[in-house]
Amino acid sequence: MQVDRRRIIGPGATVALAAVALSGCITSRVENSREGITGIGDGESVVIMARSYHLGNETEDKYINCVEDALARGSRGLRVIPHREFIDSLFPWFEPRTAPAETKGLPKLMQRPGVAEKIAGSGVRYIIWLDGDTERVAGGGSLSCAAGPGGGGCFGFAWWQNDADYNAAVWDLKGLESAGNVSADVSGTSFLPALVVPIPLIARARAAACRGLADQLRSFIVDDSEA
Amino acid sequence: MTANKCLRLYGAVLVSAALGGCAANVTMEPPKIPAPLIEKMPVAVGLRIPEEFEHYVHEESVLGREDWTIDLGSSNAALFTQLFGYMFEEVEVLGPDDDASTFDIDALIEPSIDAFEFSVPKQSKTDAFAVWIRYRLKVYDRDGDVVANWPVSAYGKSQSTAMASSDALRRAAVLAMRDAAAVMILKLDAETGISGMGDAVGDTAAVPAVAPAPAGGEQTEVQTTALEGANDDAG
Repeated sequence: MQVDRRRIIGPGATVALAAVALSGCITSRVENSREGITGIGDGESVVIMARSYHLGNETEDKYINCVEDALARGSRGLRVIPHREFIDSLFPWFEPRTAPAETKGLPKLMQRPGVAEKIAGSGVRYIIWLDGDTERVAGGGSLSCAAGPGGGGCFGFAWWQNDADYNAAVWDLKGLESAGNVSADVSGTSFLPALVVPIPLIARARAAACRGLADQLRSFIVDDSEA
Repeated sequence: MTANKCLRLYGAVLVSAALGGCAANVTMEPPKIPAPLIEKMPVAVGLRIPEEFEHYVHEESVLGREDWTIDLGSSNAALFTQLFGYMFEEVEVLGPDDDASTFDIDALIEPSIDAFEFSVPKQSKTDAFAVWIRYRLKVYDRDGDVVANWPVSAYGKSQSTAMASSDALRRAAVLAMRDAAAVMILKLDAETGISGMGDAVGDTAAVPAVAPAPAGGEQTEVQTTALEGANDDAG
């Protein structure tokens, strides 16, 4: 049977091209600083948590879920324990008010009744603390829309810039010490030109920061042991 | 249908849509507090649930544009019943009119709400709903004397972007209740000395749920955050 490849490739390529053409501009920088040797064994897992909002942190739930999904995805995916499940199982020691702010609080935490056993049972080797957020830092232009009995339309041009700055502190629960930090700093400028029909060219800064941070975290935790 | 009727119906729909956008009612389900990783105190306590805990409603107007009503229902009663069930060997739940002297208890705890406040994204200029609750715990000894009168301030915050506004406010209230639970687990004994009041449960020496801080009072003991002290001292 002969397959018309143009029919299969055509729509996919068009969608891909449109996606590339219709996205805004993104610049990103992902860095890490290592403080200890990492590695993860079979049956070991990680948990992603937000730094406490009592300390002014604004990390979005959406971002934490995104990093959890991205770290767990694929053949090299890590075993990720959902953060709410972890927090509930160790109540009240990882509530926003009571969670340890520094690794020097870990030895005392592990001595509390049942804590070390719960953590060992869940297989959590690393706690990854996220802080940071995505903010709109600039914007401009003007866009107006009108509608009447004969139809409607928009005219103008608007743009805005979002900065997504996130930091992940990796704590190794085996050595009760900090393993290092990974950070993602992504800036995205979106455009919205409109000539009757608005054409959004969206730069997804938060999504890019999520992918970048998750990829770097995976390398940070796994690759060191493979080297 | 006449044109007049049609206009009236259209107007009614517009008015109800406009009113619907200006008022929000949130009803709380009783929260489920996870079993804490602590040792129970060998004390038999009576927990007097005040009438307001069965049906607490808070209303707030936001800059004259929105009216919010949050009905906490019996969530406060559920919070304290669950929490003290986890913290003490024996808990007797008393109604508002029960005579505590007829119960075989070491101490009586009477919680109440001093203040309840919340903010919505329009007020805080963020994506978050925030809830503040200040409870007050009065602790009485076996003779009926007040031995402690302790305010407990709690805070919860939830972002509105991932869920409907009412869900976000509900979540913020649950987080505030969990925060209050965490404060009580950490500090109830230090603030009230309740673990030393136990005679009704066996002969074992009283054991606090959370070991007291060392003489030096190092912060690492309970992994405190910067605001903990400030929150608890409020009120």
